[in-house]
Amino acid sequence: MKKLLLVLSLLALVGVGGVVALAEKYTVASDTTWPPFEWQAGDGQLVGFDLDVMRLIAILEGYDVEIVSYSWDIIFVDVGGGSVDIGASGATITAEREAVVDFSAPYWTSNQAVIVMADSGLNIASALSPGAKIGAQIGTTGAKWVQEQLIDKGVDVTLVEFNLYPLAVLDLVNGNVDAVVQDEPASRASVAADARLLIAGVIETGEQFGFFVANGDPKGILPKINDGLQQLKASTAWSDLITAYMGGAELTKIEAAWVAAAPYLAAKDVVGFAHALAAGATAP
Amino acid sequence: MSAAEILWQNVRPLFGALPVTLEVLGLLLVIGLTLGTVLAFAQAYGRRPLRYLCIGYEQLFRGIPPLVVLLFYWGVLQSFDTPRVLVAALALGMRSAAYQSQIFRGAIQAVPPGQMMAARSLGMSRLQAIRSVIVPQAFRLAIPPWTNEYSSVVKDTAFICVIGGLIDLTRQALMKVAPLSMRRPVGTQLILPYLIILGLFYLALTYGGNGLLAMLERRMRIPGFEMKGKVER
Repeated sequence: MKKLLLVLSLLALVGVGGVVALAEKYTVASDTTWPPFEWQAGDGQLVGFDLDVMRLIAILEGYDVEIVSYSWDIIFVDVGGGSVDIGASGATITAEREAVVDFSAPYWTSNQAVIVMADSGLNIASALSPGAKIGAQIGTTGAKWVQEQLIDKGVDVTLVEFNLYPLAVLDLVNGNVDAVVQDEPASRASVAADARLLIAGVIETGEQFGFFVANGDPKGILPKINDGLQQLKASTAWSDLITAYMGGAELTKIEAAWVAAAPYLAAKDVVGFAHALAAGATAP
Repeated sequence: MSAAEILWQNVRPLFGALPVTLEVLGLLLVIGLTLGTVLAFAQAYGRRPLRYLCIGYEQLFRGIPPLVVLLFYWGVLQSFDTPRVLVAALALGMRSAAYQSQIFRGAIQAVPPGQMMAARSLGMSRLQAIRSVIVPQAFRLAIPPWTNEYSSVVKDTAFICVIGGLIDLTRQALMKVAPLSMRRPVGTQLILPYLIILGLFYLALTYGGNGLLAMLERRMRIPGFEMKGKVER
């Protein structure tokens, strides 16, 4: 009996120790080439709206996250195959992708902005009219929109696709394309950095971004993400994150604000972190 | 911040990514060299089924784009929890082995057949003759064409930017292009200079490595035994 008690208490000890030591840890894959959703700050830190939402949800739900930089081309394959746990990479929820992965509740609604040169005198209608050359990043909803809504409907425009969105902007500046179609937040960041650029208008595509896990959610992560997301949206932290990242503030400023707010993150203070981040990013 | 300062701020992380590129490069060269040598000898001296097997390997890996090999290995080895550096080095190294096998086979066959005959007539066994007569000469002959393969695989390492979790020179640079383009003043103008700097990193690796190999070639030279045809000018 004594022995049994000893074994049981030992087991309990190990069990408790196990729980304390092994807070669940998930790897998050993100193509960190896409400000303001995810990018690498000057000091090497991975920052961005998606990544901070992931970090804050992890705090609220009591698990740890490790963010891994992934190439966009393989992110769905690897999350779908289970070698990474979560995908957080500004991914639009589509039926095509649903076949490989399971999406969380939508966390962001994005529209496509049309960027033109400020001195071109183009507006959203003339920039997309027959004869126009329109740049977009390969595989993005911007490129898809130009294809489906213009070319497939018989509008005689040329779609020029680029591997990276900034290269499309570079070609716009160099006069090789007339307009670039890209998600609104990234476009705002580009225009904030270069006075020669102008957002001619916004196409209301209303695509919804979601985080994603392997099909069937084998590790049971999705309920945690959805619950955390709901908690986050109910707090002031949500609007603070949007203010910080989506307000068109310059990246250098956001990065400095992130460094200043980092102690709150270490202290697991969700609201405090987001507040400090927003305050830093919008400071004059 | 001035343009130069912004550029420097984005070039600095490239130095941080350099060890990953070097690690993959070193590993892939070791894999390629070892496997390539084995394949070369099997092709030159092996019996028929072995020889055909090696030729098949060589044809297969020389016929598939490195990017495809890399993505295939990534897809297969990911499920076995293989370290990412090893996946990259294995994929690129096995591809390189196919090319290197042809360099060594050529070098082995460039040693005149009389050498083997002479060695055998002195009472050496076939293996002895290969080890102490053919290999030392073939190895020296292989260095110049091998620099070619080295220069080629240095840049092959850039392919690892398509897999996950490994931040090599190219992946690091691609991660910087978008933020760089969004910085004041006028970050878009810095993209091309930045990519040129990335190119300089690879140039330095190629140039430096080839310099070392040229030194090796000089050091290993045995006066009177080099096959150095004078080039008529």
